[in-house]
Amino acid sequence: MANQGIHSKLVTLFSLLLTLLFVYTAVSKLIELDTFQWRLERMPYIAPYASLLSWKIPFLELIIAGLLWLPRYKIMALYASFMLLGIFTLYIVLVLKFSDSIPCSCGEVISALGWTDHILLNVSFMVLALLGILWSKKKYNTQTHQNTT
Amino acid sequence: MKAKFFKLLLPAFAILMAVGLAFATENERVTQEAHYFLLGQGWQTVMIEDDCDATGQSPCEFNGIQLYSEPDFASIALRKP
Repeated sequence: MANQGIHSKLVTLFSLLLTLLFVYTAVSKLIELDTFQWRLERMPYIAPYASLLSWKIPFLELIIAGLLWLPRYKIMALYASFMLLGIFTLYIVLVLKFSDSIPCSCGEVISALGWTDHILLNVSFMVLALLGILWSKKKYNTQTHQNTT
Repeated sequence: MKAKFFKLLLPAFAILMAVGLAFATENERVTQEAHYFLLGQGWQTVMIEDDCDATGQSPCEFNGIQLYSEPDFASIALRKP
């Protein structure tokens, strides 16, 4: 029971960190939308979809950040966070492994990181999202069980 | 009451902080011209970001073709960290 209190607080902390990450990266992209699109146009595999993705990615990040704070959609938002970070990580791994041209690093503070560090950062946030899913589900299951007994 | 207050305040604080941080770290894109040689078409010019220079471990490439500082094979073959 005591664990649940800690877990609940940790899930809030993880949501806070994911919100910081998503809002920061989304706003950074939106401030310099043309630059972001310019970078996407030079990325292997996704260049043809650059104009579409340059809007959709920050929009999706902001939606996920918002849903993380609505109790009803929290688990869904954590799943979405995990998947978005997972897709991005998988993309970086594929580019580094199979593409001839490695794109320039992304903008702002995170640009100080190399691609390998970027993967580590993503995996860390994916772990937070995964723990958030597990602990939120546990809490949800316990509450459902208590309500039915 | 306190819990509700925190539930509203925490995300608001996180969002404000993230937006502030995004504006605070906004940097101007610095670009430079680079050149590559395409068989049959000669030297082509592209704009690249400024992390390519004479030093670094991996080659700066455009669609898998080495980039040079000038439209000349004798010029600097651009590299990046």
